[in-house]
Amino acid sequence: MAEKKATTKKAPSKKEDSKKVAPVKQETKKAAAPAAKPKAAPAEAAAVAPTTNAGDARVGVFICHCGTNIAGSMDIEAVQEASKKVPHVAYVDNYKYMCSMPGQTVISKAVKDHKLTAVVVAACTPRLHEPTFRTATKDAGLNPFRFEMANIRDQNSWVHMHDREGSTDKAIDAIKIAVAKAALLQDLHPKSVPVEPTAMVVGAGVAGMQAALDLAAAGIKTYLIESDMSIGGRMSQLDKTFPTLDCSQCILTPKMVDVGRAENIELMTWSEVHEVEGYIGNFDVTIRKKARGVMTPKEAEAKGIVGGGCNGCGDCENVCPVVKPNEFEIGMKPRKAIYINHPQVVPLIYTIDFNSCVKCGLCVTACGPEKRAIDLEMKDEFVKVKVGTAILATGYDIFPIEKKEEWGYKRFENVISSLEFERLICASGPTGGHLVRPSDGETPKRVAFVLCAGSRDNTGTGKPYCSRFCCMYSLKHAHQIIEKIPGCIPYLFYMDIRSFGKMYEEFYYRIQDEGAKFIRGRVANIIEDPKTKNLHVMTDDTLLDRPIDMEVDMVVLAAAIQPKEDTNRTRKLFGVSCSMDGWLLEAHPKLNPCGTTTAGVFLAGVCQGPKDIPDTVASAEGAASAASIPIHMGAVELEPYFAMCIEDKCAGCGMCVNLCPYSALSLVEKNGRTVMQVTEAKCKGCGTCGGFCPGGAIWMNHFATPQIVAQIDAFLLGGEQ
Amino acid sequence: MARTKGYPEALEKKLRDQRYIREDSNPEFTKNVKAISRTIAHMCYQCGTCTGSCPSAPRSSYRIRKFMRRAVLGLENEALTDPDLWLCTTCYSCSDRCPRDIIPTDVIMSMRNLAFKRDIVPVNFLKTVQAIYASGHGVPNNDVNRAAREKLGLTRDPPTTHMYPEYMPGIRKIIDHYKLKAEADRIVKEREG
Repeated sequence: MAEKKATTKKAPSKKEDSKKVAPVKQETKKAAAPAAKPKAAPAEAAAVAPTTNAGDARVGVFICHCGTNIAGSMDIEAVQEASKKVPHVAYVDNYKYMCSMPGQTVISKAVKDHKLTAVVVAACTPRLHEPTFRTATKDAGLNPFRFEMANIRDQNSWVHMHDREGSTDKAIDAIKIAVAKAALLQDLHPKSVPVEPTAMVVGAGVAGMQAALDLAAAGIKTYLIESDMSIGGRMSQLDKTFPTLDCSQCILTPKMVDVGRAENIELMTWSEVHEVEGYIGNFDVTIRKKARGVMTPKEAEAKGIVGGGCNGCGDCENVCPVVKPNEFEIGMKPRKAIYINHPQVVPLIYTIDFNSCVKCGLCVTACGPEKRAIDLEMKDEFVKVKVGTAILATGYDIFPIEKKEEWGYKRFENVISSLEFERLICASGPTGGHLVRPSDGETPKRVAFVLCAGSRDNTGTGKPYCSRFCCMYSLKHAHQIIEKIPGCIPYLFYMDIRSFGKMYEEFYYRIQDEGAKFIRGRVANIIEDPKTKNLHVMTDDTLLDRPIDMEVDMVVLAAAIQPKEDTNRTRKLFGVSCSMDGWLLEAHPKLNPCGTTTAGVFLAGVCQGPKDIPDTVASAEGAASAASIPIHMGAVELEPYFAMCIEDKCAGCGMCVNLCPYSALSLVEKNGRTVMQVTEAKCKGCGTCGGFCPGGAIWMNHFATPQIVAQIDAFLLGGEQ
Repeated sequence: MARTKGYPEALEKKLRDQRYIREDSNPEFTKNVKAISRTIAHMCYQCGTCTGSCPSAPRSSYRIRKFMRRAVLGLENEALTDPDLWLCTTCYSCSDRCPRDIIPTDVIMSMRNLAFKRDIVPVNFLKTVQAIYASGHGVPNNDVNRAAREKLGLTRDPPTTHMYPEYMPGIRKIIDHYKLKAEADRIVKEREG
């Protein structure tokens, strides 16, 4: 392909390149358009600079009204008339909805009737409709990359809604610029790469588990990576779930067991993603298996200890002399240096906390010579796996609510967080399900729930977003104390009760009927009575229009949530963006909530934004479905925007090789010279190398220097070239 | 007749239509409050943190949240004619805690500015102006204070305009620049004759 297009004459000087170039061969467009799909260009093909030439390009301009979105803010007729005068424009038309079937027919008909060589659609954004119009261009018989979009909606009519003249002028400019590039566009052919038929899920909370189970059920080998020692995530810490009041562990444990059993799932706990290389279909992921000091039966067998390895008996834990606060119980229960999170853990394998282990060896003796599961000298291991697609399900942490000093968390003993409440009310928790005051172990009779604790907060200390499930779990907490402690009154201090889900409003009704008191006022501050350790909750009963001082025995802060601590590191490894608040950024908030801007990487659960359990599971199933598509397709097409080396110009300095963020470039010997070579599948077309190359030896497909210079000229010189 | 004195008027007041109507709302008021206070007064979501924090609210009818609501809705007349406007102690507790990062105290100050333009201002505030003009102090030193200071080993007068009266002309110049003293004198005279 490239041989055909690459003219045989020597590479033109920069000036010629950008301005006028020698006449083109007429056959380019004719031959290229319907040409049988050539094989992806081998690197040698790029030996000579590909040149572009606007010569007798015939560009069609199609202006979309987008209903009144565009037409309401500019003079479409004027834009059309001006477009006709732009060099290389052979045809101009407009239509109410260019993306509709009739609109696309307008394009394909015009391409045929007017022998167009390129298509410009002035409409919305490439993000929204580039695929649509590329398909239309292709259907008309042109190479789909002979299409350019002029954004006259999102970046024009929507911003300049009340400046008809200005937006009309700007649209004409945008079209001139697009036409300048369109006239120089070349045929490009997407490269097809095979997809490794395996997937990876990072994080084994309810989202990660569900995604992995779905992928496994679809016949896809899935690596499930969890940084903690067992799976289940936040949901395994909860007592009951709203609004059905199912026991959280009861509904989660079967899933955890399924994950442990599923043949297609390779579960790796106490492991972290260490490095990611590659691209959709071919991610090479290095996983760091943290030293857990205890071998699984499988690992023991691999070391020749037949019938050995941890069987979860707990003998080691009994003899361990080290006592530390248990993180799973938020420090409210002790644990040993060798421990499990809770009795139902999957996998049932003990783990040593090497930060506190004194290596006394008592556990080794207790474990015995048969099992020999414990290895106090174990080191981190690195495992490499290849996967086709990946799902991030990294979850959330509780916002450190002590930062909002006015509520006294960590200053006043009887002010606890909602997650601590979950553990205290849970039968398997530190108190066996008895809610008690941390200060004196007494059962509280009046409990205040502070909603929006750190959420909906624009001060910079808290979180500006709604954490989305605090209203509902606080209602559930209210129900639980009414049920468990006769005569105990829950007071819910709220701004708005957001009970938006299925059966949620009905749940609100039920809890109010059960006797919970709702006070509409955000808590201003909490004062502790130093003698009784009771708490005075100060706020404004906004509905009564009176300040209120409510003395209670205990305060539960429905703390905001924030992305898991390690999220930022993980997302960078996978090249995923995040929004200002740290939640991972989806490809489109409405139409592609599970995808990311990195092909082959998907999001599940709360890492993308606060979600309750039903939404988390739904999002996980969506992500699993999306992640399975490339694997079932077997191959994916990569955008042909990769860089090419113009070997005649390349001095082999190799500076680009180090600059490339994707390790796509290397130096090779060719015809006795050192030149750069691009691994096209790795290249993302970012242009870092092309912009830097001192010799101008790198050609960026679809964003080539002559094309960009022509666009700038078109803007500055009004379309003259 | 004398025995029912006040009742018909009180009844009439009770039975009056109290709904506020669109004409009560002046969008310019919201804009002016924002411009003078330099805070985002229109962003209040009425959570009540301000009133809950307010040391004045439990002991008076002053409701900062209500003034914020009036700022949002542009209820100019209602805000500026409410005597509660002058009960804020400007302690800034509400401003410390407002989750929307509004500074309600400055909203109150801006409303007081706007009220002053309509001559709505309690006389004691004007007398404070007069006191500052005379001595540089809103609450000038007195003999009880002087004795207490002496007891503590301090000078009888603090190192302010009391000790350095030569700075008074400068203070007066600033006050005169804004015609504050003249306005205060005029209003006090009108009220007290």
